[in-house]
Amino acid sequence: MTRVMRVIAVVFLMLFLRQVDAAAPPLRLVSLAPSVTETIFALGYGGRLVGVTTYCDYPLEAKKLPKIGDFMNPSLEAVAAKRPDLVIGVVGATDPVKAREMERLGLKVVLLPLANLDDILKSVRAIGGLMGDERAGKDLAAKISVQVDEVKKRIGHAPRRRVLLIVGHQPVIAVGGRNFIDELITLAGGTNIAAGAAQPWLNLPDEYIVAKAPEVIIEAGMGSEREKANKRWSDLGSVPAVRAKRIYPYSSDKILRPGPRFGEALGDLARFIHPECFADDKSKRSGC
Amino acid sequence: MKILDRRKMIAVNGALLALLAVSLVACALIGPVAIDLKRALGDFFSPDAEILFRARLPRVLLGAAIGGGMAACGVVLQAMLRNPLACPQMLGVSGGASLGGILGMIFFPNWLLPVAGGFLGEISWVPLAAFLGALLSMALVYRLALFRGRLHPYHLLLTGVIFNSFVAALIMFLNSIVDFYQAQGLLFWLMGNLSTRAYPTVAFIAGYVAAGFLWLWSHGVRLNLITLGEEAALQLGVEVASVERQVFLATSLMIGAMVSVSGMIGFVGLMIPHAMRLLVGSDHRLLLPASFIAGAIFLCWADTLARVLLAPAELPVGIVTAFFGAPFFISLLYREGRKLPV
Repeated sequence: MTRVMRVIAVVFLMLFLRQVDAAAPPLRLVSLAPSVTETIFALGYGGRLVGVTTYCDYPLEAKKLPKIGDFMNPSLEAVAAKRPDLVIGVVGATDPVKAREMERLGLKVVLLPLANLDDILKSVRAIGGLMGDERAGKDLAAKISVQVDEVKKRIGHAPRRRVLLIVGHQPVIAVGGRNFIDELITLAGGTNIAAGAAQPWLNLPDEYIVAKAPEVIIEAGMGSEREKANKRWSDLGSVPAVRAKRIYPYSSDKILRPGPRFGEALGDLARFIHPECFADDKSKRSGC
Repeated sequence: MKILDRRKMIAVNGALLALLAVSLVACALIGPVAIDLKRALGDFFSPDAEILFRARLPRVLLGAAIGGGMAACGVVLQAMLRNPLACPQMLGVSGGASLGGILGMIFFPNWLLPVAGGFLGEISWVPLAAFLGALLSMALVYRLALFRGRLHPYHLLLTGVIFNSFVAALIMFLNSIVDFYQAQGLLFWLMGNLSTRAYPTVAFIAGYVAAGFLWLWSHGVRLNLITLGEEAALQLGVEVASVERQVFLATSLMIGAMVSVSGMIGFVGLMIPHAMRLLVGSDHRLLLPASFIAGAIFLCWADTLARVLLAPAELPVGIVTAFFGAPFFISLLYREGRKLPV
C-alpha cells in the first residue's frame, strides 16, 4: 500500500468517525461561558459537562466541575485535555481565533449568539438540539417566554420609567445600548437612560445622570446595603431616584447572564421599576 | 547666580494664571450635557445648577490641582535625579498607591470612614488605602536607595521604575482573578481617571498639593544648584542629602494624595516640565510655579476632552494625556536634537 492510499484511508476513517459523532449525542461537553453552563444544567444535561470556566458558579454543581480557564481566556490545552466531543461558546465573547485553534485540534466547536432575548431562546433550543433532546430545549425556551409574558402582562400600561443600571461606582459604569440588559430594562417597563450609547458598558459622568434624571437607579452586583447605596448619590439631589430614595442594590448576577434565568431577572427588574404592579392587594395595582 | 528678573516672573505667571482662570471657566461650561447658564446661576436648586456646581466644577478643580501637582513633581524629580525621564510614575509611589487603592476596592468596597466622628460625613476607604499604599512603597523605595545615609539618585530611579513594574504585574494579576464588576473599575485606575468628587475631597487633595508645592518651591534655588551636579552644589553650600530627602518626601506625599483619587495619570509630570523649561528657562524659582499652572491648564483641557469625545461615555483621562502628550513630546525632543552642534 502506498503512502497516498494510507492517507486517503485515514481521511475516510476520520470522516466516517465524524459522521458517527454527529449522529450520537455528545457526552463530553466543555462550556466556554457561564450562560451556556447554566443552560446545559437547566436542560438537565449538567452531568455531561467535563469542563467549565472559572466564572461558571451557577448552579452550585457547576462550581465543582473542572475548570478550563476563565470566560475571556480559556486555555486551549485544558480544553483539549478534557477530550470533549463538543465545545460550546458564545458569539462575540469566545475568541474566534481560539475557536479556530480548537477546531484545528479536531474538536467540534459551536458558537451560539446570546445578544438578546431572541438569541437566548434560539440558543436554548439549539443546545437542546445538540443534546439530542429537542423537546427539553423547546420546553425551556417556552418557560422563559411564559415568564417574560407574565411580566409584560403585570406591567400592562404602567408608564415607562427612566432607569439607570450600573455595575460600578467610582467611576460609574453603566449599561449602554447594545447590551441585552438594555432589552431587559425595556421589557421591565423602563427606559435605559444610557441606551443611546454605542458601547455595551460605559463610564458615565455624573452630569449626564443629572441631565437624564433617572427615576430608578439599580446598582447591580455590588452587594452593598441600601443605606450605603443611597449615600453616594446624596450630592445629586435633583435626580428623582435620589429624591424618592428609589435606589436598589441588586447583588445577584442573574441579570448579567444571558441564559435561562432571563425571565427571573426580568421579574426582579420589573419589581424595582414598577413595584406598584406587584402589590399583593390587587386593588392597589393602580395604573398597571 | 543671576538674579531672577521679577518682571519676567510676574509677567509669565500672571499670563499663565489668566489662562488658567479662562480654562477653568471654559472647561466648566463644556460638557456632554448642555446647560442653561441663566437657570444654573439663577436657581440654585435647578438641575442645571447641580450639573454645573456639583457634577462639573469640583471635577474641573480637582483636575487642575492634580495636573499642577503632577507637573510640579515632575520638575523637581527631573532636577533632583538629574534625569530628563524622571516623572511621578518613576518613584514607584504611584504604583504603590494604585495597588493600595485596588486592594481597598477589592477587599473593603463598602467600608466608609467617618470623618471627625461622622460630623463631616463619611468618605470611602479606597483613597485612604491608596494613600497608605503610597506611604508604604515610598518608605520601601527610599530605604532601598539609601546607602550610608545618602540617597542615591541612580538607585532611587531604578528601584522606583522596577518597583512600579512589579506593582503593575501584581495589579494585572489581581485583574485576572477578580470578578467582572471589579475588573471594570480596576482598569480605570490603571489608565488614570478623574471623576466627580465631593468638595471636601477636592479641598483635601488641593490643600495637600498646595502645601507640597510650596515646600518644593522653597527649595527653588537649591534645586538650581543641584542640577549643576552634586559636587558643585555641595561646594556652593547646599546640603544635597537633606534637600533630596525633603523633595522625596514632599513629592511622595503629593503623588500619594493625587493617585488616591485619580489613578495613574501619566505624561503630565513628564511632558509639562520639559515644555516649560523650553519656554521659560530652567530657573526653578520660575519654572516650578509656571509648570504647576501649565500642568493645571493641560489636565483641565485633557479631562474636558475625555468627558466629551465619546459622550455620553467617558474616556479615562490617561488616554487623552498620552495621546496628545506623546507626539508633542517626541516633536520637542526632535527639535532639541536638531539644535545640537554638528
